[in-house]
Amino acid sequence: MRLDLTILIPHLGFLAEGALLTLEACALALVGSVILGMLVAIARTSSSQWISRLAFLYVDLFRNIPFIVQLFFFYYGLPEIGIYIDAFTTGVIALSIAGGAYASDAIRAGILAIDNGILEAAEVSGLSKRVTFTRIVLPIALRTSVRPLGSVLINMILTSSILSTITLNELTGQAKIVASDTFRPFEVYVVLLVVYAALTYLVSLGITLLHRRLNRDLQEQVS
Amino acid sequence: MRFAEFTPYDIVLLLQGLGVTVGLFLITSLIGLVIGVLWGIVRFYRVPVLMQVITFVAEVLKNSPVLVQLFLVFFGVPAFFKLNMTPVSAAVITLSLNTAAFVYVIAVSSIESIGRDQVEAARVFGLSRWQVLRHVIAPQAAAFSIGPLTALLVNQLQVTSLISVIGVLDLAKIGATLNLRTLKPFIVWTAVGILYYLAAKAVASLGAWAEKRLRAHSAFRGL
Repeated sequence: MRLDLTILIPHLGFLAEGALLTLEACALALVGSVILGMLVAIARTSSSQWISRLAFLYVDLFRNIPFIVQLFFFYYGLPEIGIYIDAFTTGVIALSIAGGAYASDAIRAGILAIDNGILEAAEVSGLSKRVTFTRIVLPIALRTSVRPLGSVLINMILTSSILSTITLNELTGQAKIVASDTFRPFEVYVVLLVVYAALTYLVSLGITLLHRRLNRDLQEQVS
Repeated sequence: MRFAEFTPYDIVLLLQGLGVTVGLFLITSLIGLVIGVLWGIVRFYRVPVLMQVITFVAEVLKNSPVLVQLFLVFFGVPAFFKLNMTPVSAAVITLSLNTAAFVYVIAVSSIESIGRDQVEAARVFGLSRWQVLRHVIAPQAAAFSIGPLTALLVNQLQVTSLISVIGVLDLAKIGATLNLRTLKPFIVWTAVGILYYLAAKAVASLGAWAEKRLRAHSAFRGL
């Protein structure tokens, strides 16, 4: 009963491989969820009742059903309808869809916070609805929602540990293998806990910097 | 090829899983609530050392995956301290502490939401620090915190699905079992998803009801 972390040294490379896979999956899923979140945010702020109701249903469903259930639904369900994809792709898709529900809320808040004067100015300048949206509304909304999108990313890094349950050997999956190889689960999981905490801490620091940089002209209002 | 069809007994099985999920959710929420509020009180009294330790523990618990915490408690702790741990007790310990970390944050922010002038006025009237907490801060902080608390509990209900990974027979585990037996992932996971969704909605509406009650004194009555 002695905490001996040196036994982990030979396995560090193996764990780093897992960490890399985690980051890869999260990066891809972040892109996916921001794109999806943008589309859903547009749908939710749409003036059409039906489209916004449908978008709300999506957000409501994917926020209120546990991620592990969604993951199993895709992982076991997709082959049933003839789509055979590997665990990594399934994981990224599931993370993107679940993350998209959270991201859409962040972006929607950004869209709703836009001053009506800006929209009126665009209208008076004769910009079409589409151009107003892609050139004016979205850039402002994405810029102000960097911080909430950052917490979506942090949540995603934590959630990605669940991907280990569908045979995907990311950080948690690799750590499980190391734990059963060395018979030292306590040391392995304590280190893993610290690594995840450090990782999310670094990400949140980066987000704060990015947020400040992008919103430097609004310094006194945002900070 | 089908190995087995659905039987009426499967519904009982699903409800049993739902019972385990809801039961563990209620127990761990209650324990987490008590621990989290106690931590908040420790911070209110500014107990040295203990306060810093609690802040650090809460930070680590919030910023690491629940799955890793579960593995640490279920695989790591018994191996390190040479004791026995059942899946249910590991689940109760982990989920309670995890909930406590988030409750702590809500408790701190809702205590701080009460204006300093109120506390100072109460102190001038000769109330002790405990009386201030009990009669001035607690009633207002409770009303303030019920909104974030509801969001937290809806989230924690979904987090309980992770305990299926260490072998607790909750709703997600029953789903996995039924999925393996019937090989009909779409039906099984949809049913499980709907049950989780309904449970989450029930928690959310209970929270909304409680908030309405607690805020009744300050609600706008109309002209």
